[in-house]
Amino acid sequence: MTKDSLGAAASDFPALLRQHGLLNEAALWPPAGNPGPTAFTPTQATTILAFKFTGGVLVAGDRRATAGNTVVYDRADKVLEIDRHSIMAIAGVPATAWEMARVLEHSLQYFRRTQLQEMSVDGKVRALSKLLRDNFGFVVQGIGVVVPIFATYDFAGEGQARLYFYDAMGAQFEVAEYAATGSGSPAVRGVLFYENRWGKKPLHKLGEQDAVTVALRALDTAAEADTATGGVDRNARIFPIIKVISRDGIKTLPDRQIAARFNSTVA
Amino acid sequence: MIEEPYRWVEAIANRREYIETQLAPGSPIAALSFRDGILFLTVGRARQKLFEIYDRIAMGAIGHPGDIERLRMAAIELASTEGFTRSAADVSLRRLAFYSLSPLLKTAFEQVYGAPYLARMIFAEVGATPADDLFLRVEYDGAIAAAGSAADAKPPGFSVIGGTARGTELMEELLRREHDSSSTLKAALKVALDAWSVGSMARREPAVGENPSRETLRQEREKELQSATVEAGLLERAGTSAIRYRQMSAEELQEMTSA
Repeated sequence: MTKDSLGAAASDFPALLRQHGLLNEAALWPPAGNPGPTAFTPTQATTILAFKFTGGVLVAGDRRATAGNTVVYDRADKVLEIDRHSIMAIAGVPATAWEMARVLEHSLQYFRRTQLQEMSVDGKVRALSKLLRDNFGFVVQGIGVVVPIFATYDFAGEGQARLYFYDAMGAQFEVAEYAATGSGSPAVRGVLFYENRWGKKPLHKLGEQDAVTVALRALDTAAEADTATGGVDRNARIFPIIKVISRDGIKTLPDRQIAARFNSTVA
Repeated sequence: MIEEPYRWVEAIANRREYIETQLAPGSPIAALSFRDGILFLTVGRARQKLFEIYDRIAMGAIGHPGDIERLRMAAIELASTEGFTRSAADVSLRRLAFYSLSPLLKTAFEQVYGAPYLARMIFAEVGATPADDLFLRVEYDGAIAAAGSAADAKPPGFSVIGGTARGTELMEELLRREHDSSSTLKAALKVALDAWSVGSMARREPAVGENPSRETLRQEREKELQSATVEAGLLERAGTSAIRYRQMSAEELQEMTSA
């Protein structure tokens, strides 16, 4: 404890965890003699999307988690709040992704508390990139792939919403308009591209209600062909999770607002 | 030689005297419960003296900045690793202070060949109601006092640290008379400023009377504030976020303390 309160590691929470043996990098290869986890089908969570609109950035995710053909869970939360202005949305293996989100959340808070200042947006983006890179061993083994979206509000300059998606190895790509990952993402990208190009208004000019409609339609479209995407379960009244990041922080849209919008513009 | 028991006791006594002398000019800190949370207040010149430790825990400290920094880092590390491996609900101020910080401080203090920590700290953890708030005063030798004096039958809902025992005593007397845990933030700020002022006076005038008038306290404050500023932090009782600590801005303080 406090062994190294100087130097770069001082504000690095994952380094602290490693020092205490609480966080390990994913092993690169299966040990010799072990045929590897070929028979094991990990649980997957799928289809998340985010786009910028007039009210900031909207992040949405369906609720389904699957393993192979099996629906494991229909109330999964893939849109995770990391701090007051940041959201990490996850597609991929929840076991790895939730742990990653937990490390990231604690890292940002730890940095803020020890260094007495907020971490920069670039710092946050890089921190998630590093966690993905540490997970590379699992990616190679094909059992722990996580492909997140990271959205945040940047107070630097005049202030603006920022949106990134990642690949499984940790490369981050900043996008100007929209991002989607997960098994249903090809359909979602199609819908978002179409709306942005030929819709009534481009995405960044949409108001909140119209933005919700686009998000719901995109997820519904993905669910139509992709069994791993939950879409909307009207019988059980399970709706996607939709959150909005603006200058004022994060707002979670209540189910009844999403339900009303769904009934009037999607169903 | 220091190996002889008598010499050791003497060395410890010297060390205590030395530390007390070093801490004596420190600007006092008051922490008190009010209806919507816990208020930390002090007056300082350049460096920050109030810190967030974890979601519901904050600290204030006087002493050497280097030592305060080491203890602050230790507290944040402990709380963060605990909160990460278990849950935020498992992070408890009581455990942090009694089972982690206290032994660390005691060991450093009693190893007469090493340097002790030059710091006196006040910790608070906000609860669901003012009665659930916890205050702990942690000394450089690892001693821990709960809020108020031992004579208090029930927890008084505040805790203070001053550079000297006399200053602390005067602040506690004032708060025992005037503090009310169900008050508003505005009222709490007023009482906290008065408490700080009486503690501040005691730094220069050990013979300061039992019960200085409001006017005397105000004059003391005005004099000090010419070259220093009020620093205040809040642990809020309710909120949608798990993180309950926030610093009060200069504008907010100005608005709340004027009139």
